[in-house]
Amino acid sequence: MRSLRKIFSFILIGAVTTGIFVGCSSKDTEVQGNNTSSDKAIVIKHEMGETQLSAAPKKIITLEYSFVDALAALDIKPVGIADDNKKDILIKAIADKVGSYTSVGTRSQPNLEVISSLKPDLIIADLKRHKAIYEELNKIAPTIVLKSLESSYDENINAFKTISKAVNQEEKAEKRLTEHTELINKLKSEVAFDASKTVLPAVVREDGFNAHASSSFTGQLLEKIGLKNAIQQTNGAYAEMNLEQLVQLNPDVLLIMKSSEKTIIDQWQTNPLWKNLKAVKNNQVLMVDRNLWGRFRGVISAEEISKEAVKLIKENK
Amino acid sequence: MRFLQKEKSKDNLSFRLMIVVISLVVLFLGIAVSLYIGSRNISLQAVIKAIFIEDGSKDNLIIRTIRLPRVVMSICIGANLAVAGVLMQGITRNPLASPQVFGINSGASFLVVAATVIFPSVTNYSLVYFAFIGTALSGGLVYFMGSVGGMTPVKLALAGMAIHFLLSSFTQGMILINENSLDKIMHWMAGSVSGGTWDSVSVILPWTVLGLFIAFLLASSMTILDLGEEIAKGLGQKTELIRMIAGIVVIMLAGASVSVAGPIGFIGLIVPHIVKYFVGTDYRLRIPFCILFGSILLVCADVVSRFIAYPFESPVGIVTAAIGGPFFLYLAQRKRGTKE
Repeated sequence: MRSLRKIFSFILIGAVTTGIFVGCSSKDTEVQGNNTSSDKAIVIKHEMGETQLSAAPKKIITLEYSFVDALAALDIKPVGIADDNKKDILIKAIADKVGSYTSVGTRSQPNLEVISSLKPDLIIADLKRHKAIYEELNKIAPTIVLKSLESSYDENINAFKTISKAVNQEEKAEKRLTEHTELINKLKSEVAFDASKTVLPAVVREDGFNAHASSSFTGQLLEKIGLKNAIQQTNGAYAEMNLEQLVQLNPDVLLIMKSSEKTIIDQWQTNPLWKNLKAVKNNQVLMVDRNLWGRFRGVISAEEISKEAVKLIKENK
Repeated sequence: MRFLQKEKSKDNLSFRLMIVVISLVVLFLGIAVSLYIGSRNISLQAVIKAIFIEDGSKDNLIIRTIRLPRVVMSICIGANLAVAGVLMQGITRNPLASPQVFGINSGASFLVVAATVIFPSVTNYSLVYFAFIGTALSGGLVYFMGSVGGMTPVKLALAGMAIHFLLSSFTQGMILINENSLDKIMHWMAGSVSGGTWDSVSVILPWTVLGLFIAFLLASSMTILDLGEEIAKGLGQKTELIRMIAGIVVIMLAGASVSVAGPIGFIGLIVPHIVKYFVGTDYRLRIPFCILFGSILLVCADVVSRFIAYPFESPVGIVTAAIGGPFFLYLAQRKRGTKE
């Protein structure tokens, strides 16, 4: 009996250890979600299976900002938005189009009762945040789950296309995307950024520096307007860095999103290593709008971000 | 058992000396590797020179202003947490005791998160004191709850776990509601020494020195306390007083460490056991060895953590959890085994 216990305990320890390492690498598992609806339906394929919509939805609830962006780009107003209980969180370009709406609470914990009370006919949810409540949401209204949080630029454009299919506005979306691509290309030639130079967008906190690499939303977007990212990597969109790594990368432009009043940069500025950075010497340490750059993804936001980037780089040349 | 140990004392002495020498070598190697490895390749020569001389070059500056304070901080925090752990295990007579299990880490986290919510513009320097107060409050709360109707180790352990879970859930709740202003906290809560600067070293050093010094003074009392409540009282020891002073030292050491580097887990749990295996139950030996082994563990864990997302940073708390988690399970299993 004793030895059996020992064997069992070793298996348990081994399983937990493996579990820790497996848990560190996240995999998206596909779950079949089906919504039984009537005959002529729009069938939307999304991250958690397929959802049927009997007609173009009129009352839509969005649980992440990029979805609000997508609807705004199609001139559609959602009835409910998960706005983290902050009425002024939406950037101006989107807020203007969206007008008034009902808040359904925070993105991480949306209020299912409020959602239900709005009697929506479509809910757009985020894969990372709302996978666990997909079943509940589906009971309230047809729900599609798309990638938003920590998604890349390309994934966001795809989500936009999926949403446009769900609201039966595919033609309009194509037109909008053509406009979008034209604007991006225009900005690219406007900034005419040297191909040998690099930029580094980063969120700086009091105790750390979190860079957005080439595969992040910001990273990918900026590369589309010709701003090469200082960190080229496909595994992992972010890189936590200290001053040593920043000195090694030595980007030409730093695009800083400040997470608080005082940040680790204040500390680094006292270090002579900081003064030797290319970006510092050329006055290209640029502070950008944290809310816009960090929280919003989507067609409209991408355009606003790119415009700000180009403006700041040209101003400080 | 003690008589046997006395007979073999000579062998024990040379055995212990050997352990000391080997540990010092390991520590030295750990420090050397920690200074040598980084995203920038710096030659060994330059590293050695940088420790003593300042010459303004890039390599030199990186060693002196980034890697060196980081190593020093790892040593301090490793030592602090290990000694805090061994004292806690002594006070509560529970081999599973450690700063995180007894609500100390969660107390500090809770108050740091609360402070960031209430005062969004709070500076890092002030956060240190908030963490400290949080540690003291939760430590005091645990102590109070554990001593209602006469303190026993079991009551203390239960109170610790209760406070830990309570404060953790509050902290999580605050983070959920205030996600936008608290993304900065998420990184802090994994525990990391990568931001170590001479500033933060100067914050933690006085508490380290003071705390470890008092711990030394307490050593023989702790050994007597270990014999059991009745025996210790019978020998004339003021057990309540000893427990209280030891508790204050734990708050000092663990609180200062958490406030500077965030909650780093498992060091206070594992190191005392490894030390016990090598040098036995005398706290006059255990405490210095905890200082030594604790430093080694954190310095090495920090080196390992740098390879997880090389060349970028990962929280050292991940590595200590990966080592400590299975070890914790093993301890829990073993304790159950011996009870049968």
